[in-house]
Amino acid sequence: MNKETTKMTCPYCGETHDSAEGLKGHVFKMHKGRGLPSAEGRIKLTINKAEHTFHVKPDWTLYYLIHDKLGLTGAKQFCDRGACGSCTMIVDGKPVLSCMILAIECDGKTVETVEGIAAAGHPLIEAYVNNHAMQCGYCTPGFVVTSKALLDINQDPTEEEIVEALSGNLCRCSTYPQHPIAVKEAAGKLRAAK
Amino acid sequence: MSTQPQDQTARMLEMLDNLKADKYPLREYKYIGEKIPRRLDGLAKASGQADYTMDVQLPGMLHMRLLMCPYPHAKILRMDTARAEKLPGVRYVLRYDDPEVRKAEIVGKTAVFFGDLDRPLSGVAHMEGELVGAAVAAETEAIAEEALSLIEIDWEQRPFNLDPVAASDPSAPLSFPERYTDGNHLNRGVYDELSHGDIKKGFAEADRVVEFSFKRTANTWVGPERPCGVWKWNGDSPEIWLKHQRVHLPKSRIADWFGGIPMSKIEIHSLYQGASFGGWCQIDWNLGPLWCAACVSKRVGRPVKYTFNRREDFFGGSMDEGTYFVKVGFKNDGTITAADAVLYHVNCIWPVFGPALHLHDNTQIKNLHGQSKSIWVNKGHTVPTRCEMLPPVLTQTMIFGRVASELGMDPTEVAIKNDGCMGHDMEWARQEKVKRGFPERDSLKECIEQGKAGFKWEESWHLPGARKLPNGRMQGVGFNWTHEWDDSAGSGEFAIRIERTDGTATLMAMGADNGVDAESTYCQIAADELGFLLKDVNYNPQVYRGFYRMTPDSSTNMSVNGWAVRHAARILRQKILESATSPSSTTQRGSFQPAFPNTKPDEMDIKNSLIYVKSDPTRQMSVADFVRLAGEAGPFSTNEYLGARVGWSEPLFASGYQVQYRAWTSDNPRPTFCRQAHFMEVEVDTETGEVIVTRVVNVNDVGKVINRMSCEGQQYGGSIMGVSRAKFEEVVHDPVTGVILNGNLLDYKIATIKDLGPIGTILVETGMGYGPYGLTGIGEDVATVVPGLLPLAVHNAIGVWIEDLPITPDKILKALGKI
Repeated sequence: MNKETTKMTCPYCGETHDSAEGLKGHVFKMHKGRGLPSAEGRIKLTINKAEHTFHVKPDWTLYYLIHDKLGLTGAKQFCDRGACGSCTMIVDGKPVLSCMILAIECDGKTVETVEGIAAAGHPLIEAYVNNHAMQCGYCTPGFVVTSKALLDINQDPTEEEIVEALSGNLCRCSTYPQHPIAVKEAAGKLRAAK
Repeated sequence: MSTQPQDQTARMLEMLDNLKADKYPLREYKYIGEKIPRRLDGLAKASGQADYTMDVQLPGMLHMRLLMCPYPHAKILRMDTARAEKLPGVRYVLRYDDPEVRKAEIVGKTAVFFGDLDRPLSGVAHMEGELVGAAVAAETEAIAEEALSLIEIDWEQRPFNLDPVAASDPSAPLSFPERYTDGNHLNRGVYDELSHGDIKKGFAEADRVVEFSFKRTANTWVGPERPCGVWKWNGDSPEIWLKHQRVHLPKSRIADWFGGIPMSKIEIHSLYQGASFGGWCQIDWNLGPLWCAACVSKRVGRPVKYTFNRREDFFGGSMDEGTYFVKVGFKNDGTITAADAVLYHVNCIWPVFGPALHLHDNTQIKNLHGQSKSIWVNKGHTVPTRCEMLPPVLTQTMIFGRVASELGMDPTEVAIKNDGCMGHDMEWARQEKVKRGFPERDSLKECIEQGKAGFKWEESWHLPGARKLPNGRMQGVGFNWTHEWDDSAGSGEFAIRIERTDGTATLMAMGADNGVDAESTYCQIAADELGFLLKDVNYNPQVYRGFYRMTPDSSTNMSVNGWAVRHAARILRQKILESATSPSSTTQRGSFQPAFPNTKPDEMDIKNSLIYVKSDPTRQMSVADFVRLAGEAGPFSTNEYLGARVGWSEPLFASGYQVQYRAWTSDNPRPTFCRQAHFMEVEVDTETGEVIVTRVVNVNDVGKVINRMSCEGQQYGGSIMGVSRAKFEEVVHDPVTGVILNGNLLDYKIATIKDLGPIGTILVETGMGYGPYGLTGIGEDVATVVPGLLPLAVHNAIGVWIEDLPITPDKILKALGKI
């Protein structure tokens, strides 16, 4: 902090304050429970319900961190610019393209990958197997994750809603017709289990 | 001792290079023909646990990136790699002028027909993307990428060609002056012509003659997993991970590298494959990077992984790219009297599949001529890409579509009128069916009948431009057909062993899982032939066990591999029964009692993994129990501690093989009797030029369905890929610089889940295939036949021919005179 800079900046939301006391009050009020901010490059992620701490470089994508560094290789890179959906992960409850997010932006977030969805016994997995909703399988994890994100908010989707939700996932083997069938089957099992 | 094992081997030899109907099918099927879930690969793929070569990481592994020429035609005059070599994290820079690189031959004894694919790194490039200059190995892919950008090169840029018709002109610059010095037409006299009859006479007999041309621009495979490979030396033995759908081919090339490496020392891991659709796997040049990885790995003592990025996967395309010139003569009743087709074929390294091949194979057209001119331009090679039958299928489709529309005839009637074999009529075909023991069924008629019913053709078809919908769009339908080919021309071998302890069957053959679920299909055949429960038959092609199967399975290889696995299973089944009944387990200290004493093998059977006496099924033993004691007791199996000899069984293992020769040349000894028929409906928005494909119905006579859901999957996948190719896909080259403008998946569009309406899947089983149980293939067929439907359906909608694929909105509007 130099003489010219008298503003104190919140490390969580970027709001500025004139004094340390002001900043402290703001942090306790608005970000209570978040813990102390991490050192630069240190991030905490909850991945498939397990807590992790990483030291990441600024240019690492979330995909690179989870696929290459952590070794959860389910997510794939089919395209190179957010066009294919094969790298989809669920971050704080929303499906995102993990190749288009920097890991360093994800401090404190929860991440669900296809491995976690399978380990939790989600009925989508069996439905995909039963209905041949895969061929080469490279894009399949992306479809499973996107479908799971849909079923998290809608356990009785129509075919149109499923098609709309999956319209950002590319499949070159073109297994598309089997996916709505598998998703509906899984949705039925989720509803029955309630 | 029974002679049955010799009989089964004799039967295998009898069915080699099969030219007739299956004389020995099963009497009943349990798993063959049924819907089976993705039992082998489904869980791994759906749960993200399936590993692909791109996922491989080894301790100490370096990452390699290769320099690819940024120009369509250029030579390196000077190259300075000093800055790249000094970049922290770079471990090796392999140069094209390295003595070992200069001497290397990637392809060795077996070369592809055309092009210069033999050097791992070149100093001259004849296409954008050719491997030139250098390969960089670094600690991370990002560092290797940065190092490439630090290599300084002075280029001599040369004139280039992009269009095959222009490049065939004698005044055109040479696309490949180092090798082809007298012009760009490479395949003069080699697989360039197919003809029968007298086309002059045929045209003279016609009531009408029509000439037209059409164009198919560059399109490519877009394999989800980019080309990649890993090389590790274990002493002098290579251990390799390679994305390749025909794993035995690289292995045989690698055996010639570095002074020769015994095949028995080469281990290739064939992990799950992120699809290739042919593509790279047909180009031996894709082994150049692997050679570089091997060379650097040897020099630095660390494993090396090379990867291509997404743009680099666009350098090369499908072998239907080119300009087609067609002339067809026909009678007013729809009989085609003559057809002549010339294809200016871009960079086709395998010009065997000329434009007239299917007209020759499956029509009674008496007078036919086709020529395939492979013209070299400065683009990537064009290769079979789901598949090599695109040129002849497109040609047949456009010819039949034209004839029908010129005459105002229902195209299904034109098809039936001209159906035949190799210029002969259906009576000749019927006699051939009888001679070869096939059922006398008319496959095309059956396919058309079922397709018309499923599509509601009678209420959908109309004359061109005749139906405007309430939503303002023009509705149109298209129909095309051809034979259901099984084009595998090669050989395959399978082995099966019975595991100790639990008696499960392990299928063994080197191959690649590229997604069509062939592995399950082989298990279905083996289970029915052995009499095992399906759960007791497994196959993991990723485990390296030798033997090889014809690949890729998506290329209709079930007829070759299906025979091979059936032969192995029948020989093994008999061996199990022999072993269960034979008193031959005699040692120097006496005999082991057979599991079924005083019984002959032909009195036994196996069902549901139980061996039993046919006349008294209560005398039974599970296969697991039969093999268990020897396995569980291991070296103690002969222990007589309890005063009695425990049971013992010999190792149970058998192999089988099949060969099929000359399946796709003009002297094909197998007249093809199975047919396929496809129907498409479109709506054309004449204001925007958009074409909406509202539905497709596929009818494929596969002879005999083995894996029903896999067959349907090929119909779904082929329909969508077919529509995608016809509607969206084109690799766009800048005419000024010659470089690709859309080498990414935002600008090169492939179909999404929203781009096609319902797809009907109808499977016909006439039993007239040359494969086991009368089957023929499906993997290539639908994706190859569906693209040609789009110009037909669009013409039916708007009454104008769009003869330039893909059919994009601008072409519709131009054809309608709106722009």
